[in-house]
Amino acid sequence: MFGIDLGKYRTLVVSIFLFLLFDLGVLVLNFVISSQIAHDAEAVNLAGRQRMLSQRTAKAALQIEKQAASDTPDRKLPAELANAAEIFDRTLRAFMQGGETVSGSGSPLALAPLDDAEAQAILQRAAAVWTPYRQAMQAALAPGANADAVAALVQRAEAANLELLGLMNDLTTRMESIAASKAKNLRMVQVGGITLATINFVIILVHFIGHLRRADRDLEHARKQTDDILKTTQEGLFLLDPDYRIGSQHSRALGGMLGSEKPGGASLIDLLRPAVSQKTLDTAREYIDLLLKHDVKERLVASLNPLDRVEINLSSAPGDTSQRYLKFAFNRVTENKRVTHLLVTANDITKRVELERDLKESEERSASQMSMLVELLRVDPAAMQEFLSGAGSALEHMNSLLKDQTEGREAHSTRINGIYRVAHRLKGDAAALGLTSLAANVHGLESLLTELRERATLTGENFLPVTVRVKSLFADLESIQNVVARVAQMRSTVLVEAPRPAVDADAQALAFVQQWRAFAHQIAQRRHKQVELSYGGLDLAELPAVQRETILSVVNQFIRNAIVHGIETPDERRLRGKPVAGRLAVYVMRNEEGGLALSFRDDGQGISVEGIRQAALKSGRLAPERAHTATDRELIGLIFEPGLSTQGSADEDAGRGAGLDAVKEMVVGQGGRIRIGTTRGEYCHFRVALPAPAEQPDVAAAQPANQEIQT
Amino acid sequence: MDEAQLRIFVSILQNYFERQTTRAAEVGTPFLGEANALPVFDYTGVIGISGARRGCVYFTAPGDLLRDLLLRVGESNVAEANLADLAGEIANTISGNARRDFGPDFMISVPVVVRGRTQSIQMPRETKAYVIPLRWQKHRAALVVGVN
Repeated sequence: MFGIDLGKYRTLVVSIFLFLLFDLGVLVLNFVISSQIAHDAEAVNLAGRQRMLSQRTAKAALQIEKQAASDTPDRKLPAELANAAEIFDRTLRAFMQGGETVSGSGSPLALAPLDDAEAQAILQRAAAVWTPYRQAMQAALAPGANADAVAALVQRAEAANLELLGLMNDLTTRMESIAASKAKNLRMVQVGGITLATINFVIILVHFIGHLRRADRDLEHARKQTDDILKTTQEGLFLLDPDYRIGSQHSRALGGMLGSEKPGGASLIDLLRPAVSQKTLDTAREYIDLLLKHDVKERLVASLNPLDRVEINLSSAPGDTSQRYLKFAFNRVTENKRVTHLLVTANDITKRVELERDLKESEERSASQMSMLVELLRVDPAAMQEFLSGAGSALEHMNSLLKDQTEGREAHSTRINGIYRVAHRLKGDAAALGLTSLAANVHGLESLLTELRERATLTGENFLPVTVRVKSLFADLESIQNVVARVAQMRSTVLVEAPRPAVDADAQALAFVQQWRAFAHQIAQRRHKQVELSYGGLDLAELPAVQRETILSVVNQFIRNAIVHGIETPDERRLRGKPVAGRLAVYVMRNEEGGLALSFRDDGQGISVEGIRQAALKSGRLAPERAHTATDRELIGLIFEPGLSTQGSADEDAGRGAGLDAVKEMVVGQGGRIRIGTTRGEYCHFRVALPAPAEQPDVAAAQPANQEIQT
Repeated sequence: MDEAQLRIFVSILQNYFERQTTRAAEVGTPFLGEANALPVFDYTGVIGISGARRGCVYFTAPGDLLRDLLLRVGESNVAEANLADLAGEIANTISGNARRDFGPDFMISVPVVVRGRTQSIQMPRETKAYVIPLRWQKHRAALVVGVN
């Protein structure tokens, strides 16, 4: 319309235009007809005046005749008659042919000829009456007119008066009728116009309310979809204006990412300020300006984005800050080829960054541990355990010397010398085991201490490098322990052990096995240890009572002994690369001679020969000289002797040295034998052989060779 | 955290005392402490560290030290709130200067003041922390640095 693309508003504009057109049409018709009605009303008035003038002329004629005989005739009457006749005449002619007359107020008034045939007919008849009447008037009013002329006028007046009155009356009625007809037409036009306008309005209303409802519904649907997207997306989505302000519509995830409850309306720069360096912030501002205000290709400048990996720190407790890594991506939003906003997408890339970091650290750790692994594989595990235990104590001792805050030259010298002594011993031990990198680190500590010794004055602050070095030694030691645990794991995997009988699932449910298991768990719980007991072999219920009771009693003692002395605590086992729960494996079978073979094996720390030596010394079972010359086999044999315990103090599980001697007594009493296999740090294995009951030899005869020890 | 970085913390504290009181704090022999056995006095200003390394640094001092320090700088109001504010200010000084000296590898948080042991301080448990004892006017205080 008018060369303007009205788009979806075209129908609305056309409808409103029609509405106005109808209203305007009614208005114009109203104006035209109203002016005609006004004109007709004037004509009706004039017609009425003609009626009055016809009577006035007659009256004036009669009065002129009457006064003609008097001595003082009214001089105004002839003029009045002439005036009335003149107005009547002019108006009559104006009605008939159009022309000018005078209004009621005396002002000139132009009239168009009446276009009604009936009115014209009335006028023609009136003119026919009026013309002779008018001539009679002119004769009577002419100067020097005699009484005959007046009498002739009066005669004419009497003849024309009633007819003229009737004709003018008809004219007036006709004119009123025409005016009424026009008024009726006007009303019809008004009603028609208003009806059309109203119909048009109703169409507009129905059409556009429906249209608006549909549009609202579509809009609401679109808004809900947008809301759902913004609520559920894991990305932080928002629009950024040229003042770096975040738009009011943003994804819910954004608040959590930026640590702000209401990021909408806030400045992105202000929100990032505490999280990034000033330089990054300045670059970010420049980058955003570049995208917003300059005609550069987005792809070309994408590599300059300084916010592609931003670390955000959120504090929850004193000293506890959680980190989050965010990646911001920017895309231009254009309107009329002008960049108005930037669409910013923030992604939480914390997991990716942490994974990268872990991978890098893991690679570094693996590389450093690999060289250490090579060193450690050459070292005997037992020696390594002893070294680690000693080294840990040594470092703690160094730290305790640092912790003593006694001031003064002498106190500092004592501290330096104390640390030096411990360090020197540690270095020697590390070097002896081939732990060259650890030895080198301790050597560095020695060098620091030597420098301190040579200083003229000493303060606590001078010890700072020493403390830093001690901490690095703690870290080295931890690394070694980790590697040792891995080595132990590998060793346990590749260790060629004596074959263990397969575990029979049915056997696990036997009553005596359940009883052993409950007993084992009871002791383990008291010792803060964990154990698992498995059984394979015969059902003891099949055995003669003597054998059955012997086996039950012996196994009970072995369980007690294994948990108290053999199985390590969960922490120790973890460190050695063993499963947290210690394993006790029991097996009973018939041997080739028809006797019984009992196998009891635990994967604990094995038998400590040194511990037995010390216990034997303490109990006086061995003289000091003998204790030092005794072989391992001799010492292990002592565990079956009464009154020898390696546990410092007695409790309900052990400590009085009265456990394994009872086992020996029972086994030997039945003519059986006991064999022991053990590796320090790995296992302890008791194998008991009992002869068949019928073949029981004399107890005394069996005693000399009743135990065999393998270490 | 290496020796040079530790020295930055120590020198920030020494400078603070020297500037405020014209007398620097004396540094005792630094030692290592487990996370559950670190010195905590009446008021502790804690700052968190994140970034390439994570952990926290705190300055802890008894009320007497902070009271003397306030009087020394001409502040007669030694109410508890003021003592806590001072501990916060010292931590803030450490935080502000450390931000400048450490660069972008260390993200240093805004300090938090903890009174006594009412709130646990989140030190890294898997590593020993450096304890740097301080003495100023016969009062003992400590700077503790626990960073992975």
